Amino acid sequence: MSEHHHPDPNLAPETRDAGSQALAEALRSSFAIVKVAMAVLVAMIFFAGFFTVKQGEQAVILRFGKPLGEGEQMLLSPGKLYWSFPYPIDQVVRIPISQIQKIDSSAGWYPMTSLQEQALDYDGTEPPPGGNSLDPRQESYVITADTNVIHTRVTVTYHIENPKVAIFGFSRGANHEFNLDGISNAVQNAADNALVATAAGFSVDDILTQHPGAFKEAVTRRIKALVLEEKLGVRIESCQVKSLPIRQLKADFALATQAQENRDKLIQDARGASNKILADSKAQAAIAVTNAATTRFEYVARLRADVSAFTNLLAKFGTNTPLYERMQLAAAMPEILTNSQKFFLPRRQDGKARELRLELNREPAENERTTMNQ
Amino acid sequence: MKKNAITIIIAAVLLVIFVLLLFTFQVPQSQVVVVSRFQEPIRTISEPGLCFKWPWPIDSINRFDQRVQVFEDQFSETYLADKNELLTSVYVGWRISNAKDFFPKFPGGSALAAQQALQKIIGDAKSTVMSRYSLPDLVNSDATKLKFDEIESSMQKAVETQLDQNNYGISVEFLRLKRIGLPETVTQTAFERMKRERAKYVTQAESEGTKEAEIIKAEAQGDASKLIAEANATAIRIQSEGEAEAAQMLGVFEQNPDLAVFQLELEAVKKSLGQKTTLILDETKPPFDIFNKLTAAPATK
Repeated sequence: MSEHHHPDPNLAPETRDAGSQALAEALRSSFAIVKVAMAVLVAMIFFAGFFTVKQGEQAVILRFGKPLGEGEQMLLSPGKLYWSFPYPIDQVVRIPISQIQKIDSSAGWYPMTSLQEQALDYDGTEPPPGGNSLDPRQESYVITADTNVIHTRVTVTYHIENPKVAIFGFSRGANHEFNLDGISNAVQNAADNALVATAAGFSVDDILTQHPGAFKEAVTRRIKALVLEEKLGVRIESCQVKSLPIRQLKADFALATQAQENRDKLIQDARGASNKILADSKAQAAIAVTNAATTRFEYVARLRADVSAFTNLLAKFGTNTPLYERMQLAAAMPEILTNSQKFFLPRRQDGKARELRLELNREPAENERTTMNQ
Repeated sequence: MKKNAITIIIAAVLLVIFVLLLFTFQVPQSQVVVVSRFQEPIRTISEPGLCFKWPWPIDSINRFDQRVQVFEDQFSETYLADKNELLTSVYVGWRISNAKDFFPKFPGGSALAAQQALQKIIGDAKSTVMSRYSLPDLVNSDATKLKFDEIESSMQKAVETQLDQNNYGISVEFLRLKRIGLPETVTQTAFERMKRERAKYVTQAESEGTKEAEIIKAEAQGDASKLIAEANATAIRIQSEGEAEAAQMLGVFEQNPDLAVFQLELEAVKKSLGQKTTLILDETKPPFDIFNKLTAAPATK
């Protein structure tokens, strides 16, 4: 190398040294900047690897595509600080495990805009009915056990019970993303099947008015069974079923509902009257029995007292009967005469019998007495 | 010397990255990869992790999602054994079970192309299976007679058979009915029938209500009468028991009937002469004759 190194003879040695020094200085500075930049970059990469898991979530680290850990150990829970290598070495997949998911069934309900949906939820206003027939490709419905058609919808709330199945077991579309679209679609289809299969065993009146609770329970049971059978890895929290008559027949169903309400009211009133009749009769019966028992008790008690008194008086009566009778009569006189109006009828001087004339009138009625007093 | 070491390390790292990019690939969880050498599939990798390959153009990789995808079949007409026509659609949970078979069957290993093939197979299976069943197997007030599970199972078997025969590399995890509908022309007839049924129901409900209300009231009246009759009978029994008890005591009065009669008469007089009674008394009769005796005595003196 030194053989080929020929310094410019035209430049003074001082000038050459200054240029080299400046260049060397510039290079040193650049290297220092690059080193700092690299250090910052490495630090950024390092610190960017820290992450936390939110409440209601779990996370899985995929290292070169493979989950770190086995079984439950692969799931990272909230409350800790985690670190992962940057992509493409590691990928953090977050799963909203305890967040309640919600889907509506798609089979059985008619198409509605979001505004119409809000109006239906708010005040029950439905879109206007279509024609005299129903195109099942446009408006969905279910067929009931009595071969009627009806709109019905189930809203399912659920949460992810097995995150590995929900995220890594089901997908939708061809984008290979890890999200809940696939499992949501599977749950929705299970809900559709549950509605269609359950409605096929219930009459339209059962669903709408007579046994809507039983219908809802049957739908819920079937959804839960399908979720287990299809191994969807979710837990159903609740199912809300909403059913409506076909809009073209709304007025007819309203009349029938009104008739049913009238019938129920008649029966309810009759049951009320029946209860009153039975309650009155029970009271009447109780009074009759109580009165009889009281009368019996009083009668027997009085008789027993009379017997006792009679036994006590028997000796006195036998000794001097007329005296006893006079004594008893005299004793009773005050009691008898106290509250009576008394007239003594004196004997006529001539010794003849007196003639006594009585004018007897019936007792005036209460209202007659009042009139007379006025 | 130190600078050279850093430079060498950086260069080595970059070289390693470059080599890794050329010679390795990732198989993420839920994916299956088919490695082809000069466009000929040579191996399938379904376990997630880092794998080696020869760089392009020697080896190339094709990725497939091996998760279950739910495909919804078209809503189409099917004829039942009882000549009824129904519209049905099913949903199928399917997945790629053998990527090596799946890959060459469908252009580019497209899931869409696979679903188009599935659509045809499902359509055939629906027609075949549904033609063996009648409307009461699908709609019945006796839920035990419904054959949804049997129909769905038969359809799934038919689809699986077709998939196996065609060696599509697809497996069906579940297949179920999604919708059942009546043809539009039939719905008009159904509406008219439903209207008639509603009208009949209105009449029936009204008469049922009146009738049932009357029955309830009549039953209540009957029960009430029975209750009162039973109570009256009980009352009579109680009274008769009292009288029987009293009769046992009457023997005492027979010891002196005169006294008994006197006592009874005296008691009767006490009770009968109450308020508002007017008595006209004869002064010659005891004990009021005492007045005569009292007035006569001084005159004698």
